Amino acid sequence: MADLQVLLWLSFVLFGIGLVGVMVRRNALVMLMCMELMLNAVILALVVFSLRTATLSGTVLVFLIFVVAAAEIAIAIPIVLMLSRQKRSLDVEGYDSLKG
Amino acid sequence: MSIDTVLLYFFVVAALAGGVLMLVAQHPMRVALALIAVMLSLAGVYAMLGVHAVAVFQVLIYVGAVMVFMVYVIMLLDVRDPSFVVRYGRLLVPGVALGTLLAAALGLGMAQLRVTPAAAGVEAPSYLVRPFSQEFLQQYWLHFELTSVLLVAAVVAAIAVIKSGRRQDG
Amino acid sequence: MTPTMNLLTVIVLLPLAGFVLNGLLGRRLGPTFVSVVGCGLPILAFLATLEAFSTLQLAGPDAALVEHAYQWAAVGNQSFDVAFYFDRLSAVMTLIVTGVGSLIHVYSTGYMKGDASYARYFAYLNLFLFFMLTLVLGRSLLVCFVGWEGVGLASYLLIGFWFEDPAKAAAGKKAFITNRIGDAGFLLGLFLLYHVLGTLNMDEINAAFGGPVAPAVSASLVGVLLFIGATGKSAQIPLHVWLPDAMAGPTPVSALIHAATMVTAGVYLVARMHGIYEHAPLASQVVAVIGVMTAFFAATIAVVQTDIKKVLAYSTVSQLGLMFVALGVGAYGVAVFHVYTHAFFKACLFLGAGSVIHALGGEQDIRRMGGLARRIPVTFVTFAIATAAIAGIPPLAGFFSKDEILWFAFASGYGGSTLLWVVGSATALMTSFYMFRLLWLTFLTPSRMSHEVEHHVHESPWSMTGVLVVLAFLSAVGGFVHVPEFLEPVLPLATARESLEHYEHTLVYVAVAVAVAGFLAATWLYRGGLAKGDALAARFPRLHRMLGGKYFIDELYDAVLGRPLHWVSDRVFLRAGDRFVIDGTLHGLAATTRRVAGRLGRIETGQLQWYVTMAVLGIVGCLAWVWRHV
Repeated sequence: MADLQVLLWLSFVLFGIGLVGVMVRRNALVMLMCMELMLNAVILALVVFSLRTATLSGTVLVFLIFVVAAAEIAIAIPIVLMLSRQKRSLDVEGYDSLKG
Repeated sequence: MSIDTVLLYFFVVAALAGGVLMLVAQHPMRVALALIAVMLSLAGVYAMLGVHAVAVFQVLIYVGAVMVFMVYVIMLLDVRDPSFVVRYGRLLVPGVALGTLLAAALGLGMAQLRVTPAAAGVEAPSYLVRPFSQEFLQQYWLHFELTSVLLVAAVVAAIAVIKSGRRQDG
Repeated sequence: MTPTMNLLTVIVLLPLAGFVLNGLLGRRLGPTFVSVVGCGLPILAFLATLEAFSTLQLAGPDAALVEHAYQWAAVGNQSFDVAFYFDRLSAVMTLIVTGVGSLIHVYSTGYMKGDASYARYFAYLNLFLFFMLTLVLGRSLLVCFVGWEGVGLASYLLIGFWFEDPAKAAAGKKAFITNRIGDAGFLLGLFLLYHVLGTLNMDEINAAFGGPVAPAVSASLVGVLLFIGATGKSAQIPLHVWLPDAMAGPTPVSALIHAATMVTAGVYLVARMHGIYEHAPLASQVVAVIGVMTAFFAATIAVVQTDIKKVLAYSTVSQLGLMFVALGVGAYGVAVFHVYTHAFFKACLFLGAGSVIHALGGEQDIRRMGGLARRIPVTFVTFAIATAAIAGIPPLAGFFSKDEILWFAFASGYGGSTLLWVVGSATALMTSFYMFRLLWLTFLTPSRMSHEVEHHVHESPWSMTGVLVVLAFLSAVGGFVHVPEFLEPVLPLATARESLEHYEHTLVYVAVAVAVAGFLAATWLYRGGLAKGDALAARFPRLHRMLGGKYFIDELYDAVLGRPLHWVSDRVFLRAGDRFVIDGTLHGLAATTRRVAGRLGRIETGQLQWYVTMAVLGIVGCLAWVWRHV
């Protein structure tokens, strides 16, 4: 199945898009969503490998990533809320207190 | 070319298009919708591949929970600032350049990687929900239980963040 | 033979108990407790010594009590034991140490009364007694060395007792460091002996050197090394410089440590190791020559000193020199005899000087004394008796011991010579002279005290005068105990050359004549006060300056050793090494780090996306590196 090769390329491209998005987009929420995109790309790669090796462990790992993603978003959203309440802004260029 | 293959490539192209849209869309809400499109497309891909369990949970957890939450927050936040008008930060050029560099570096490896189907004679396990769940809870139950610890930690952390934020506000 | 109870251990440990009690509880429980403990335990130790002594007497003339107290260490099949050895020699020393020690403790209760650190003083004094007893009772040279170092420590602590005064603290340091040089020699001798003989027990070492098969080591080398240790402790040339400075300590300390007991440790060591020196004529000659030089030069310095304690200090150095002369000519028992008489009269003199200083409220310069005979009569009489004793006026104690030393210096078949006798007699003459000079200037000439000082003159309390009386009595009659004969079973006496034996009576007359001559000269010069003496000094200014400056030995050491060391320390180690190389390296490193950090700090903008970009840059770098290398 040449499809698997194509899907792996898809995963790679989505991951790259997500990474560039994290680096260049100004909106904090958009940054978060780009990170979700990266996670999805990884899930896709795991599924491809699971199929390739004909084992279940890859898909099991996918489930664990679901849990991690849920936990991540459950913390990330409150943090963004706090930030926006404090700075009255979602512009990450306005956040500069993360320094010594 | 069977209908399955056509559908698969359709979903691949849709996911790719959604991803590009995420980079260029201006308003966060549009980005969120694009992301939902990507996720649904990926769920379709999984379904086409026969990994139904993942496909189902992709829709339920990601689209149903995470993204709904995200959209809700976007609607909730009543702020307007330059980030809603100007898409990109000042790191656009170095960011894209670096992304390209990284893509080149990774692509170099990808190009050498040949993903061939599993060897003939090896019976692939079933990825349907029932056998998958049975296998999952029999063999990986400990990992499954451990994730609950992670979830509890996340809940506690979320509460802690909210509380400390309240205290800061006075 | 072993005594029924661990008597020797008890003797040693009693003062240690005093040290612990006074050191820990003394401040809290007050001076009465301190006095009772501080004096009571040494007196108990003295009584225990008497008991052990009577046991020893019953056991026979050359018997020894050996008591094994503790196994210190076992290395392989070698064992280092803390054992005590009590023969007639250690018996005499122990009796002196505990007896005179107890007396001086009693005296101190009067002298140190009201001092802020009364308890600390007695704690140190008891500590000193403990180490001194370890020194004289230890069977192994190793135990002896522990005591040796310990008395050095106690001496250091007591010289610098009033450490608020930097000069006094410096004097303590000087004593300690000078002693270290001697200790190095002692230690080398110890290593050599252990290497060759495999034992450090003194009786076994003596037996080995006296045995049929000579040990495979030069007795002279060992002898000289041990003697270097003795020169440090007993203040012989060239390590004599610390003792006069040690007078900075309280006067009873000078009496106990720097006159009666500790400084005689060197004499004891050589006498104890007589088995080596009997087979080392060369080392013995060194001992005799160093001894007689020290005796002579110290006496010349004492002639012009004006500080009452300094006169006595140089006198002590000089008398110690005479003891070493006796050791050098093989008359070991005679040396111990002089240790014994010297302990009485020198302790009496120092304590008398202490009484004078006490009466005058701290004045030590004899040029500002005089006329004290009527004001403090008990002190005067005892001081006069002790002076006569050290000068060698018969029949007082010093006469007997000094006469025997000079006789053996002249006639011993083991290195005696006329030259030793001549120089020794000249020393005796000067001794008599400067001691009577001291007596005249302090007590008999018209008073030169300031009015205010004179007003306060008072006789010391009975605790001090009583001790003076006892010591004066012992100085007077102590010579009738024939210590050399008593010690002969354990300390063989060199035989006089037969051809010289008929000179014996002549020498006695000469000795008496010398003592009287010194007395007459002092009387003639100083009966009328300072005038004649000053006139004499003015006629020989260079000589006077040289003697007053103590032959400028301290200055010489400073120029030859002190200043080059100081220069090297300052220039090479401090400025070049420490400040430039070490500090410079560290400061340079710090400055570089700070500069680099300043540059790098600008990267840290606080911008989240900038951090992400840096991370990605790192990942790209890693990947590039991996791609290159796989």
